[in-house]
Amino acid sequence: MNNFFKNILIGLFSIRSNMTRVILTSTGLTIGIFTVSLVTASISSIDKEFAKSMDYYGNDKIYVGTWPWSFDFDWWKYRNRPKIEESSLEYINQYSEYVTDVSIKKNTWTKASFGNKASWLQLNGVYPSYQDMLSGTEIVNGRFFSQNEWELQRRVIIVGASVRDGFFEGKDPIGKKIRLNNVTFEIIGELKKQGMGMVPGGSLDSLVLMPSTTFERILTRWGFDELVLQTNPDNIPLAKEEVGMIMRVARKIPPGDDDNFSVNSADAYQTQFNDMKNAIAGMGFLVTGISLVVSAIGIMNVMFVSVRERTREIGLRKAMGATNFNILTQFLSEAVAIAIIGGSVGILLIRLTVFGISSFPIASFNGSTLPVSFDAILIFYTFMVCVVIGVLAGMIPARTAANLNPIDALRDE
Amino acid sequence: MAKNKKEIIAIQSVSKIYHLGETVVKALDNVSLSIYENDYISIMGPSGSGKSTLMNIIGCLDVPTKGDYKFNSELISEMNDNQLANIRNQKIGFVFQTFNLLPKLNAMQNVEVPLIYSSLGKKDRTERVEEALSIVGLQDRMTHKPNELSGGQRQRVAIARALVNKPSIILADEPTGNLDSKSGNDILKFFAKLHKAGNTIIMVTHEESVAKLSKRRIDIFDGKIARDE
Repeated sequence: MNNFFKNILIGLFSIRSNMTRVILTSTGLTIGIFTVSLVTASISSIDKEFAKSMDYYGNDKIYVGTWPWSFDFDWWKYRNRPKIEESSLEYINQYSEYVTDVSIKKNTWTKASFGNKASWLQLNGVYPSYQDMLSGTEIVNGRFFSQNEWELQRRVIIVGASVRDGFFEGKDPIGKKIRLNNVTFEIIGELKKQGMGMVPGGSLDSLVLMPSTTFERILTRWGFDELVLQTNPDNIPLAKEEVGMIMRVARKIPPGDDDNFSVNSADAYQTQFNDMKNAIAGMGFLVTGISLVVSAIGIMNVMFVSVRERTREIGLRKAMGATNFNILTQFLSEAVAIAIIGGSVGILLIRLTVFGISSFPIASFNGSTLPVSFDAILIFYTFMVCVVIGVLAGMIPARTAANLNPIDALRDE
Repeated sequence: MAKNKKEIIAIQSVSKIYHLGETVVKALDNVSLSIYENDYISIMGPSGSGKSTLMNIIGCLDVPTKGDYKFNSELISEMNDNQLANIRNQKIGFVFQTFNLLPKLNAMQNVEVPLIYSSLGKKDRTERVEEALSIVGLQDRMTHKPNELSGGQRQRVAIARALVNKPSIILADEPTGNLDSKSGNDILKFFAKLHKAGNTIIMVTHEESVAKLSKRRIDIFDGKIARDE
């Protein structure tokens, strides 16, 4: 064993004297490791963000809207669909077996201001029942609005976590008044922080909830309505089918005509998201695979050159008592070391890139989405990949070296 | 010859045959030879006579096609590569015409090479290396690289390397061939000293003057021993 490590040291020593060549050769592997890390990091980040977005929409909710939730919908086909009517909820309430709770969700974006601070926030006008339908978040401070406040169209709001930081420097916002679309509202509740997600605007926390009645009275200029329906997660497919039929009745669509609404749920996103993720992963791993193969060939080439250049050295070492295995170990460790150097530079680059991205002020690419444990796992896998590539690339040249006849090798000019 | 001395090498009817395409070359033809402890032998012969082949076989770099080769009563002719490597490491010190020092290693590291393939620890290795380099008088040149040493000094580093594992025999292949006459003479004087100290030396040369300094001379011609006295 002692001998084994001595031969590894000899291999490493010979690398030191050929640093330029080693660095150039290992660049291919650097690129490969960099790509694979970037792809893994992106996928893991997207995954996390997506999971949060899924929480935001909930796995136990159905959303009835004008447009389907899809990345590739046909805008021309859906643009003339009628708006969602709140009155459809009565039909659903009356006829649905699977839906346990309902709320309207009126959506718009508006400018909010407090003192000299201003920001764009997403406004949702909802029913009091929406308190029990919040997903991915909850009231952490204050309260939801009451039935009474809903009926009286009171100007009360529940705000997302970003309002606290944006307007009140982290202080308690309850009881404070902010202006939305130049109308004053009182903050009565605060939602738990959710972070970034793949939703319009990126942040799940730039959100304001208010009674849908108030919303209608004050903020009707533009926006769109959705119906939010609560059901059991296991019943989603059945409930969607049932709601579709009820909506056709509510809208009096003749048999044979197409739906002019869409029944959506988060699982539809999931499928599309998985396709997208697989596409990214597929491309990434293809590029990585190619660069790893190319770099392995590069290392093999350099190792052949190294064996050729040092034929006399091999002969001498054999004359001095080196066994075939000693020589094999020496050259294999040289190849593995080249691979590891390439991989380490790759890791360094990926760390710098992540650091660069996370300090760049684009919220949706926030570096904090890279979990800490990622580092150790990445380094471990990179190390393993480098060892495997080094061994594969170095095996043939190292065997050539090990099997050299010492007499011929010593005579080599 | 000193028959009362211990026999180190016993070569019995050894032949080495090379097949170069259609032609069969008998590099050694039925050679028998005994080498004893503290012998100082020079092997002479024109090029192509088979002296290099004989050296390679004695040095365990090659095995004979026919015949027996015993080294310290061990049968070399049937050993595998690893066993041969072990014999070379423990029993034989090589000195080459072109020194064959590794250019990127300093004198100490060069001398250490055979020890790396033995089972000695770092401390013992350093001790042995320092000892060997002081025997050849290079204790103040230990950290010099080959390109910082003269030809004679390089060959002395090579001799230190040959001595470092305390081998049974020292095999020198034209050790003065690449040296000017003064350095060459120094090296030969040094060999004489080593011989006096009890070492067994086998030297290949084609210079009469060099061969005269040895105690026993073997001439090879056409793969056969033509003279041994």
